Amino acid sequence: MNDVAIIGAGLHPFGRFGDKSAFAMGAEAIDLALADAGVAWEDIQFACGGSWEVAQTDPLTGLLGLTGIPFINVFNACATAASAIQQAANAIRTGQCDLAVAVGLDKHPRGAFVEDPMLVNMPSWYAENGQYVTTKFFGMKINRYMHDHNITSRTLARVAAKNFRNGALNPNAFRRKPISEDEILASPVLNYPLTQFMFCAPDEGAAAVVLCRADVAHRYTDKPVFVRASTIRTRRYGAYEVNTTWAAIEEDAAPTVYASRAAYEQAGIGPEDVDVVQLQDTDAGAEVIHLAENGFCADGEQEKLLAEGATEIAGRLPVNTDGGLIANGEPIGASGLRQVHELVRQLRGQAGERQVPGNPRVGYAQVYGAPGTAAVTILSR
Amino acid sequence: MSELLLPRRGTLVAWTTQGFVPKLPYAGSDKADRFTPFGVGLVQLGDVIRVESRLTESDPTKLRFGMEMELSIVPFYVDDADDEIMTFAFAPVSGSTDSP
Repeated sequence: MNDVAIIGAGLHPFGRFGDKSAFAMGAEAIDLALADAGVAWEDIQFACGGSWEVAQTDPLTGLLGLTGIPFINVFNACATAASAIQQAANAIRTGQCDLAVAVGLDKHPRGAFVEDPMLVNMPSWYAENGQYVTTKFFGMKINRYMHDHNITSRTLARVAAKNFRNGALNPNAFRRKPISEDEILASPVLNYPLTQFMFCAPDEGAAAVVLCRADVAHRYTDKPVFVRASTIRTRRYGAYEVNTTWAAIEEDAAPTVYASRAAYEQAGIGPEDVDVVQLQDTDAGAEVIHLAENGFCADGEQEKLLAEGATEIAGRLPVNTDGGLIANGEPIGASGLRQVHELVRQLRGQAGERQVPGNPRVGYAQVYGAPGTAAVTILSR
Repeated sequence: MSELLLPRRGTLVAWTTQGFVPKLPYAGSDKADRFTPFGVGLVQLGDVIRVESRLTESDPTKLRFGMEMELSIVPFYVDDADDEIMTFAFAPVSGSTDSP
């Protein structure tokens, strides 16, 4: 099995871009990644793309070049981009190709995500009754977590304020204005205890990486970033997850816990070795919970970590240095690749104003979404 | 497969409020400016199952983890044929304590 390196990363800014198509954004992200890697589209031998809003991503070849390569589409909700990376990396691992592209793109209408519940095997009454709302699950999960582990709303506000501050340092972010903790707490409650400014919003954007067989990566770059782990897990019996009418009495851990453990095992490292972290912050509570689910702290310790500023860019455990979903929004197909784009910048020392000090060596990215699917990617210099 | 009669009462395991109008195909008559937030919770029925449900109570100060809840049938909307459609929602049992 070949090892895999990322030799190029590109990102189309996240936000709102009028009539510009998701494909145009995706092609720009790929062009940026190719330029970053110093290769041409004609050199790419395999591609994998993901999106919710477009039927399939491979019409991108009409914009980039009709080279006839195998181009696979994946959709795995919020874990779509992480899945595209895994498929492209696997093509290299198994010797199908030496150079591959993973791309994610999306262009969502405004407001909370919605679709026909039948498309995800949920009964129509669930939506008619007002329960087919992903954000209310996040409200229930963090509400219970705060009760069980003594987390305050102030900590949720600290997470959101941090991510808005980091977003202000990121020219590609959707929200670039710092918002104070008090303003976050005073914004309308959408799903108690979560307020409007604690949530990310669906938006538009694209991101891509160029992957390469690790043993030839030096031909293209003196700063390869190695893919040390890529794992995907779905919910187990006993986990209470998004989009479910019921749960078992006996509780099991969330899929992130299993994806995380498997990723550490694959990479042969532990959470103490990680220098910069990207977590799924669909809402501020999700970042709090995911800190523990990914092994970065014990349940309840987040209250102290946030108060101390440990998760700030200059803290000992920098989390969502580019502003995360809260400042970037979530074009579902692209979100996990935005995380990896940021980690590549950080590990190469190219993150500008938001560079984590001390030459970070190991980066960690986690995504989580409906109906209980999580993915973890670990990268290192 | 066989049918199992679930207890009508249970305890509140997790809860939140729904503070904005759910998108279509939401059927409630409380759309747009007539919307009032409703509670949503996960209720554990004995040692059988946990079910997700609307709650009749949406005031966070009146909802507590572990409180006793009882199934109720409440008005939901009036359909095109002018028939009143009911739905299910769990209501706090008056005098409920925090016992798990």
